[in-house]
Amino acid sequence: MKTLRALAPEQLAVAEARLLNPAPGSRIEAARNYGIDLTLLVEQLRLSPAERGRKLEDASNVLDKVRGIARRRS
Amino acid sequence: MQFERAIQALCDAEVEFVVIGGLSATFHGSVRITYDLDICYSRRPANLRRLSDALAPFHPRPRGFPTGVPFFWDEKTLSNSTILTLRTDIGEIDLMAEVMGLGAFDDVARDALEIEAFERQFRTLDLPALIRAKRATGREKDLAALPELESLLEAEAPEKPDSEG
Repeated sequence: MKTLRALAPEQLAVAEARLLNPAPGSRIEAARNYGIDLTLLVEQLRLSPAERGRKLEDASNVLDKVRGIARRRS
Repeated sequence: MQFERAIQALCDAEVEFVVIGGLSATFHGSVRITYDLDICYSRRPANLRRLSDALAPFHPRPRGFPTGVPFFWDEKTLSNSTILTLRTDIGEIDLMAEVMGLGAFDDVARDALEIEAFERQFRTLDLPALIRAKRATGREKDLAALPELESLLEAEAPEKPDSEG
Protein backbone atom coordinates (compact mmCIF):
# COMPACT_ATOMS: atom_id res chain seq x y z
CA MET A 1 0.00 0.00 0.00
CA LYS A 2 1.25 3.47 -0.88
CA THR A 3 1.93 6.06 1.79
CA LEU A 4 0.76 9.66 1.82
CA ARG A 5 3.87 11.74 2.45
CA ALA A 6 4.96 15.35 2.29
CA LEU A 7 5.85 16.47 -1.22
CA ALA A 8 9.51 16.19 -2.15
CA PRO A 9 11.15 19.58 -2.90
CA GLU A 10 11.00 19.05 -6.66
CA GLN A 11 7.34 17.96 -6.49
CA LEU A 12 6.54 20.98 -4.36
CA ALA A 13 8.24 23.29 -6.84
CA VAL A 14 6.13 21.89 -9.69
CA ALA A 15 2.92 22.12 -7.64
CA GLU A 16 3.68 25.70 -6.60
CA ALA A 17 4.39 26.75 -10.18
CA ARG A 18 1.13 25.21 -11.37
CA LEU A 19 -0.90 26.79 -8.57
CA LEU A 20 0.63 30.25 -8.83
CA ASN A 21 0.57 30.36 -12.63
CA PRO A 22 -2.43 28.28 -13.68
CA ALA A 23 -2.39 26.98 -17.23
CA PRO A 24 -5.24 28.33 -19.37
CA GLY A 25 -8.14 25.91 -19.36
CA SER A 26 -6.80 23.98 -16.36
CA ARG A 27 -8.83 22.93 -13.35
CA ILE A 28 -6.55 25.13 -11.27
CA GLU A 29 -7.52 28.14 -13.35
CA ALA A 30 -11.19 27.18 -12.96
CA ALA A 31 -10.73 26.96 -9.19
CA ARG A 32 -9.10 30.39 -9.07
CA ASN A 33 -12.01 31.80 -11.07
CA TYR A 34 -14.39 30.01 -8.65
CA GLY A 35 -12.80 31.95 -5.80
CA ILE A 36 -10.29 29.52 -4.32
CA ASP A 37 -7.25 31.28 -2.83
CA LEU A 38 -4.50 29.22 -4.42
CA THR A 39 -1.79 30.79 -2.26
CA LEU A 40 -3.40 29.07 0.75
CA LEU A 41 -3.06 25.73 -1.01
CA VAL A 42 0.61 26.44 -1.64
CA GLU A 43 1.13 27.12 2.07
CA GLN A 44 -0.73 23.94 2.97
CA LEU A 45 1.30 21.81 0.55
CA ARG A 46 4.50 23.00 2.21
CA LEU A 47 3.39 21.09 5.32
CA SER A 48 3.47 17.35 5.82
CA PRO A 49 0.12 15.52 5.95
CA ALA A 50 0.61 15.11 9.71
CA GLU A 51 1.22 18.84 10.12
CA ARG A 52 -1.94 19.57 8.11
CA GLY A 53 -3.91 17.32 10.46
CA ARG A 54 -2.46 19.02 13.52
CA LYS A 55 -3.27 22.46 12.10
CA LEU A 56 -6.87 21.38 11.52
CA GLU A 57 -7.16 20.06 15.08
CA ASP A 58 -5.84 23.36 16.47
CA ALA A 59 -8.22 25.42 14.32
CA SER A 60 -11.15 23.18 15.18
CA ASN A 61 -10.45 23.50 18.92
CA VAL A 62 -10.27 27.29 18.72
CA LEU A 63 -13.58 27.40 16.85
CA ASP A 64 -15.17 25.03 19.37
CA LYS A 65 -14.17 27.44 22.16
CA VAL A 66 -15.58 30.42 20.23
CA ARG A 67 -18.82 28.54 19.61
CA GLY A 68 -19.02 27.67 23.32
CA ILE A 69 -18.56 31.31 24.33
CA ALA A 70 -21.19 32.39 21.79
CA ARG A 71 -23.64 29.79 23.13
CA ARG A 72 -23.15 30.92 26.73
CA ARG A 73 -23.73 34.58 25.77
CA SER A 74 -26.92 33.88 23.82
CA MET B 1 -13.39 18.02 17.29
CA GLN B 2 -10.59 16.15 18.96
CA PHE B 3 -9.35 14.31 15.89
CA GLU B 4 -6.22 13.08 17.63
CA ARG B 5 -8.05 11.39 20.50
CA ALA B 6 -10.54 9.78 18.15
CA ILE B 7 -7.89 8.47 15.75
CA GLN B 8 -5.71 7.21 18.58
CA ALA B 9 -8.66 5.42 20.20
CA LEU B 10 -9.55 3.71 16.92
CA CYS B 11 -5.96 2.71 16.19
CA ASP B 12 -5.27 1.51 19.72
CA ALA B 13 -8.37 -0.69 19.57
CA GLU B 14 -7.14 -2.07 16.21
CA VAL B 15 -10.30 -1.00 14.42
CA GLU B 16 -10.25 -1.54 10.65
CA PHE B 17 -11.14 1.87 9.26
CA VAL B 18 -10.35 4.39 6.56
CA VAL B 19 -10.54 8.14 7.14
CA ILE B 20 -12.75 9.75 4.51
CA GLY B 21 -14.39 13.18 4.20
CA GLY B 22 -12.99 16.49 5.37
CA LEU B 23 -10.07 15.19 7.42
CA SER B 24 -8.91 13.16 4.44
CA ALA B 25 -9.17 16.32 2.31
CA THR B 26 -7.04 18.14 4.88
CA PHE B 27 -4.35 15.46 4.73
CA HIS B 28 -4.23 16.01 0.95
CA GLY B 29 -3.84 19.78 1.29
CA SER B 30 -7.36 21.21 1.58
CA VAL B 31 -7.61 24.34 3.70
CA ARG B 32 -11.32 23.93 4.46
CA ILE B 33 -12.11 23.41 8.13
CA THR B 34 -14.17 20.37 9.01
CA TYR B 35 -15.97 19.86 12.28
CA ASP B 36 -16.44 16.11 12.23
CA LEU B 37 -14.54 12.92 11.68
CA ASP B 38 -15.86 10.66 8.91
CA ILE B 39 -14.68 7.08 8.73
CA CYS B 40 -15.58 4.00 6.72
CA TYR B 41 -15.38 0.83 8.78
CA SER B 42 -15.39 -2.89 8.14
CA ARG B 43 -18.59 -4.68 9.13
CA ARG B 44 -16.78 -7.86 10.17
CA PRO B 45 -18.22 -8.89 13.57
CA ALA B 46 -14.90 -8.65 15.39
CA ASN B 47 -14.38 -5.17 13.98
CA LEU B 48 -17.83 -4.03 15.07
CA ARG B 49 -16.93 -5.10 18.60
CA ARG B 50 -13.61 -3.25 18.46
CA LEU B 51 -15.27 -0.13 17.06
CA SER B 52 -17.96 -0.24 19.71
CA ASP B 53 -15.37 -0.63 22.48
CA ALA B 54 -13.16 2.12 21.07
CA LEU B 55 -15.89 4.76 21.06
CA ALA B 56 -17.80 3.69 24.19
CA PRO B 57 -15.66 5.84 26.57
CA PHE B 58 -16.78 8.92 24.63
CA HIS B 59 -20.50 8.21 25.16
CA PRO B 60 -21.72 8.25 21.56
CA ARG B 61 -25.34 9.11 20.79
CA PRO B 62 -26.95 9.69 17.41
CA ARG B 63 -27.18 13.39 16.60
CA GLY B 64 -30.73 14.58 16.99
CA PHE B 65 -31.65 11.64 19.24
CA PRO B 66 -34.17 12.76 21.89
CA THR B 67 -32.54 13.61 25.21
CA GLY B 68 -33.71 11.44 28.08
CA VAL B 69 -34.38 8.47 25.81
CA PRO B 70 -31.93 5.63 26.48
CA PHE B 71 -29.56 4.75 23.66
CA PHE B 72 -27.63 1.50 23.73
CA TRP B 73 -24.22 1.58 22.13
CA ASP B 74 -22.82 -1.80 21.23
CA GLU B 75 -21.91 -3.92 18.24
CA LYS B 76 -25.58 -4.75 17.65
CA THR B 77 -26.26 -1.05 17.14
CA LEU B 78 -23.49 -1.00 14.58
CA SER B 79 -24.62 -4.18 12.86
CA ASN B 80 -28.15 -2.79 12.47
CA SER B 81 -27.07 0.27 10.50
CA THR B 82 -24.72 1.26 7.71
CA ILE B 83 -24.54 4.97 8.58
CA LEU B 84 -24.38 6.46 12.06
CA THR B 85 -23.97 10.17 12.70
CA LEU B 86 -22.82 10.48 16.29
CA ARG B 87 -22.26 13.17 18.87
CA THR B 88 -19.56 12.15 21.35
CA ASP B 89 -17.63 13.74 24.21
CA ILE B 90 -14.80 14.45 21.77
CA GLY B 91 -16.85 15.74 18.86
CA GLU B 92 -19.01 14.57 16.02
CA ILE B 93 -18.11 11.30 14.37
CA ASP B 94 -19.80 9.84 11.30
CA LEU B 95 -19.48 6.10 10.76
CA MET B 96 -20.15 4.65 7.33
CA ALA B 97 -20.03 1.04 6.28
CA GLU B 98 -20.38 2.12 2.64
CA VAL B 99 -19.28 5.21 0.76
CA MET B 100 -21.27 6.56 -2.17
CA GLY B 101 -19.31 6.30 -5.40
CA LEU B 102 -16.82 3.85 -3.90
CA GLY B 103 -18.65 0.93 -2.28
CA ALA B 104 -18.23 -1.03 0.92
CA PHE B 105 -15.18 -1.10 3.19
CA ASP B 106 -13.08 -3.48 1.07
CA ASP B 107 -13.60 -1.28 -2.00
CA VAL B 108 -12.77 1.83 0.01
CA ALA B 109 -9.66 0.19 1.48
CA ARG B 110 -8.40 -0.57 -2.04
CA ASP B 111 -8.39 3.18 -2.73
CA ALA B 112 -6.64 4.04 0.53
CA LEU B 113 -3.17 5.24 1.41
CA GLU B 114 -1.22 4.72 4.61
CA ILE B 115 -0.64 7.87 6.59
CA GLU B 116 1.24 8.64 9.77
CA ALA B 117 -0.39 11.42 11.79
CA PHE B 118 -1.55 12.04 15.35
CA GLU B 119 1.25 9.66 16.42
CA ARG B 120 -0.45 6.69 14.77
CA GLN B 121 -0.46 4.89 11.42
CA PHE B 122 -3.79 4.44 9.68
CA ARG B 123 -5.45 4.70 6.29
CA THR B 124 -7.08 7.54 4.40
CA LEU B 125 -8.65 7.77 0.96
CA ASP B 126 -6.42 8.66 -1.94
CA LEU B 127 -7.25 11.95 -3.64
CA PRO B 128 -8.94 10.58 -6.81
CA ALA B 129 -11.23 8.37 -4.68
CA LEU B 130 -12.04 11.25 -2.36
CA ILE B 131 -13.05 13.33 -5.37
CA ARG B 132 -15.22 10.47 -6.71
CA ALA B 133 -16.93 10.13 -3.33
CA LYS B 134 -17.58 13.86 -3.00
CA ARG B 135 -18.98 14.01 -6.52
CA ALA B 136 -21.19 10.96 -5.95
CA THR B 137 -23.00 12.44 -2.98
CA GLY B 138 -24.21 15.36 -5.09
CA ARG B 139 -24.57 17.41 -1.90
CA GLU B 140 -23.89 21.10 -2.26
CA LYS B 141 -21.17 21.18 0.39
CA ASP B 142 -19.36 18.24 -1.20
CA LEU B 143 -19.60 19.66 -4.70
CA ALA B 144 -18.27 22.98 -3.38
CA ALA B 145 -15.14 21.17 -2.20
CA LEU B 146 -14.36 19.82 -5.68
CA PRO B 147 -12.60 22.82 -7.26
CA GLU B 148 -10.04 22.84 -4.46
CA LEU B 149 -9.51 19.06 -4.48
CA GLU B 150 -9.25 18.92 -8.27
CA SER B 151 -6.70 21.71 -8.15
CA LEU B 152 -4.62 19.76 -5.66
CA LEU B 153 -4.83 16.67 -7.87
CA GLU B 154 -3.75 18.65 -10.92
CA ALA B 155 -0.98 20.45 -9.02
CA GLU B 156 0.51 17.18 -7.79
CA ALA B 157 0.09 15.18 -11.00
CA PRO B 158 3.35 13.78 -12.37
CA GLU B 159 4.78 15.79 -15.22
CA LYS B 160 4.06 14.34 -18.65
CA PRO B 161 7.30 13.55 -20.53
CA ASP B 162 6.04 15.18 -23.74
CA SER B 163 5.28 18.43 -21.90
CA GLU B 164 8.89 18.84 -20.86
CA GLY B 165 10.02 19.57 -24.38
